[in-house]
Amino acid sequence: MAAQADEFDEYAALLDAVRGIRWPARSAVRGGIPGAHTSRLRGISAEFTEYRPYRQGDETRRIDWKLFARSDRAYIRLSNDRAILPTMIVLDASASMAFPTATNAKWALAAQIGVALGAVARNSGDPVGLVVAHGEEPLLLAPRMRRSVTHDIIRAVSATRPGGSGPLAPSVSIAAQSGGRLVIVTDFLGDAEELLTVASRLVAAGREVHAVHVIAPEEIDPPSEAAMVSDPEALSVRRALTSDTRERYVAAYAAWRDRIAHDFSDAGVAYATAIVGDETPDHLIRRITAPRGMSATA
Amino acid sequence: MTFLASGFLFASLAVAAAIVALHFIVTRQPRAAILPTARFVPDTRATTVAPARRPSDLLLMLLRVLLVLAAGAGLAKPVLTPSRGAEARVILVDVSRSARDSMAIRDSVRAIYRNGDAVVAFDSSARVVTGNVADTLGALRPTTRRGNLSAALITALRAGSSLRDRADSLELVIVSPFAREEFDAATDTVRKLWPGKASLVRVVGPATDTAAGASSLAISAAADDPLAVTVALARTTATAGGLIDRGAIPNERRGMSSEEAAAASAAARPRGAASRQASMQARASEGDIPRRSAAPLIEWPAQTRPRLATQRPVRDTVGGVMAGDAVVVSTFDRQWSFPSDSLRGAEVIARWVDGEPAAVEKPDGIGCVRSVAIPVTPVGDFVIRHDFVRFVASLSRPCAQITSLIPADPALVAKLEGKGGLAPRAAFQPLTDAHSDLAPWLFALAIALAIAELFVRRRGRDTTALARTGKSSASDEARAA
Repeated sequence: MAAQADEFDEYAALLDAVRGIRWPARSAVRGGIPGAHTSRLRGISAEFTEYRPYRQGDETRRIDWKLFARSDRAYIRLSNDRAILPTMIVLDASASMAFPTATNAKWALAAQIGVALGAVARNSGDPVGLVVAHGEEPLLLAPRMRRSVTHDIIRAVSATRPGGSGPLAPSVSIAAQSGGRLVIVTDFLGDAEELLTVASRLVAAGREVHAVHVIAPEEIDPPSEAAMVSDPEALSVRRALTSDTRERYVAAYAAWRDRIAHDFSDAGVAYATAIVGDETPDHLIRRITAPRGMSATA
Repeated sequence: MTFLASGFLFASLAVAAAIVALHFIVTRQPRAAILPTARFVPDTRATTVAPARRPSDLLLMLLRVLLVLAAGAGLAKPVLTPSRGAEARVILVDVSRSARDSMAIRDSVRAIYRNGDAVVAFDSSARVVTGNVADTLGALRPTTRRGNLSAALITALRAGSSLRDRADSLELVIVSPFAREEFDAATDTVRKLWPGKASLVRVVGPATDTAAGASSLAISAAADDPLAVTVALARTTATAGGLIDRGAIPNERRGMSSEEAAAASAAARPRGAASRQASMQARASEGDIPRRSAAPLIEWPAQTRPRLATQRPVRDTVGGVMAGDAVVVSTFDRQWSFPSDSLRGAEVIARWVDGEPAAVEKPDGIGCVRSVAIPVTPVGDFVIRHDFVRFVASLSRPCAQITSLIPADPALVAKLEGKGGLAPRAAFQPLTDAHSDLAPWLFALAIALAIAELFVRRRGRDTTALARTGKSSASDEARAA
C-alpha cells in the first residue's frame, strides 16, 4: 500500500497541474454516448441550432408545437449533439526509452505524458485506455470512463520497466480497435516506417491520431567524451562516438527528426516533440491538447 | 669490440626505442555507453590511443627490444678487436712471364715474409695468397701471362684494408723484375693511392739472347713473292727481325725426311711441335736463325693454310687489319680464320677491323712462332705502301717473351717506389665485406627471440580473449538477473 501511495504521490503534482485542461476533439466526433465533444449528428440536446421542416418519419415529439400553433407549419427543432471521444494512449516501453540508463528519463517523461493525457481525457468525460508496448506482449487497459482509470494508468506505468525491442505498430493496431482518439508516445527509434503507415491509415479513416516524439537531450547533444556507443535495441550496432564523428552524428540525427516530423505531419498526425527537461509537463500537455491552429503558452 | 657496419647498430637502437615508446602508448577502445540513436553515428575505427605510465606487456616489450638489438648487432658485424702489431707488410710477388727466375722470387719473398703479412701474387691478375703461405710460396711458378702492376696495386690496397686492424703501419713490398710491359697508363695513378713509400726488390731474370730478337728481318719466299719487297723496306725498322716463312723452303733444305716433310706439309693439318722444331732446325742448318734463337718465326704462307687457322665456311672481304699501332686499310680477301680453341696458349698480335684474329703468336722455347692469315695481293702498290711496311715491321717485332724481359724505365720504377714513410693504418678504409664470427650467433639469437615473441604474444592474446569472455558472461548474468 505504501508503494502504491508513492506511485500516486509521484504524479499528484502533475495531475493537479493538468486539472483544468480540456482536450477538445480536433474535428466533430461520431455520435454516441453524450459527451463533451461536438458530434457530427444533430440531436435533441438543449442547445438549439435550427429548425427543419418536418418530414415523414421524424419523431413527432421533436415537432415544435408552439411554432406549429403560430405558423400552422410543422417544424422539427434541431440542436448540436455532443458525444464522448474514447482515447487510447499507446506508450512505447522499448529498451530505447530506458535512457539515460541512470534515470530512465525518457520513459519517465513518456509515463508522465500518458498519465497526464489520460487524466485530461478523463476530466473531459472521455473513456481512456492504455496500451504499453513492452516486449512481445503489450499491456492493454481497455477504455473506461470510471474515475479510477487514472489510478489504473498510474499503476500500469509504474509497474513497467522499459526493455525489449519489439515493434510498436502492432500495439498501435490493437489500440486502434477501440476507436476514438489515439495517442502514440514514442521515440520512433523502432519501426517508424510501419508506424507511419498505420497512422496514415487511421487518419484516412477519420481517426484523430497524436504522435508525441520523446527525445532525450543527450541524444540531441551527446557528451563530448569519446565513447563506444551501442544501441540497446540492437547490440550489434556499436559505433565510436568521437570528436570526429560527433558532428556528423548530430547532423544526421537532426535530419532524421526533421524527416519524422515532416512525414507524420504530412500524414495528418498531430505531431509534437517532448524533450526531456525542456519544459514543464503541464506546459507540454497544454501544447499537445491545444486545438488545431492554436499553441499553448507557457 | 668494433662494429664493421655500426649504422645498423644505431638503427636498431632507434627501432628499439620506438618499440619501448609504443609499449607506453596504450591502444584501447573508448568507454562503452548506451545510446539509442547509435545508428546515426558514422561507422568508423573504434580505437583510441592514450599514453600509459607503465609499459604494457613488459615481457613482450623486452623480447621485442632484444630481438631488434640482436638483429641490428648481427647486421653491424661485430668483431673482436685483435691485438695490433707495429708493422705489417703487403708483399706483391710477380709471377708473370717477366719473372723467369722463380727460385729467386721465392727466396726473396721468404726472406721478407713474416707471420701476419699479406702476400699478393700477380701476373695479369692479382690474388691474395691465403692458407699456408709458405707452401704456396714454394709452389709459385711464373706463368705465361703478362704482368700487370696496376691490378697488383689495387689488390694491395684491399689487402692493406684487411691488415689495418693488425698493425699500426703498413709497408708495401714489391718483388718483381719490373719489366717495361708490366707498367701501364694507370700504374702511376693507382700507386698514388697507397700512402707512403714502397720497398722494391728487383729480381733479375736469366740471361737471354735478346740481341737475337733484334736481328735483321729475313724472308723465305719465292723469287716473285711480292712480300719480299715489303720485307726489304721493313728491314730499315729497328725492331723488325726474324724470319718470314712463305712456304717456299724446300723440304730437303729443311733437313727433313721426305716422310716428315709430307707429314709437316699435309694440307689443313696443324703442325705439331715436332715438325715445327724440325722446321726451326732446318732453318738453323741453313744459317738464317741461330739454334734456340729468340727471334720470331713468322709463318705467313702465300698459298696454303696458315698454322692454327681453318678454312672459313664462306670467304668474305674485310676492310682493314691492325697490329699494334700499325693499321692497313685495304680490301682483303679473307679465307682463313682462327677458331677459338686454337687460341689457347696463344696471343693475338693482329686483328681484322671486325675484331677477328688475323695473326697469332705462340711461345716456342725462348722464341715464338707467329701464324699470319693475311693475304698479300701483288696488285698495285699495296706491298710498298708505307702503312703495310709498318704493319709487317710490327708483325716482326721481337717475341713477347723477349719484350717481357726489357726492364722498365728507371723513372717509372722510381715513381713506383714513391717517397715518405710507412702507410698508417688509418689511411685504409675498413673492409665492408669483412667476416664477423659473432654475426651468425646474433642472428640465431634474433630468430629464437622472434619465436619466443610469437608464443608470448599468442599467450597474451588468449589471456585477453579469456578475460573478455569472462567479462561478457558476467555481464550476461547480470543482465539476466
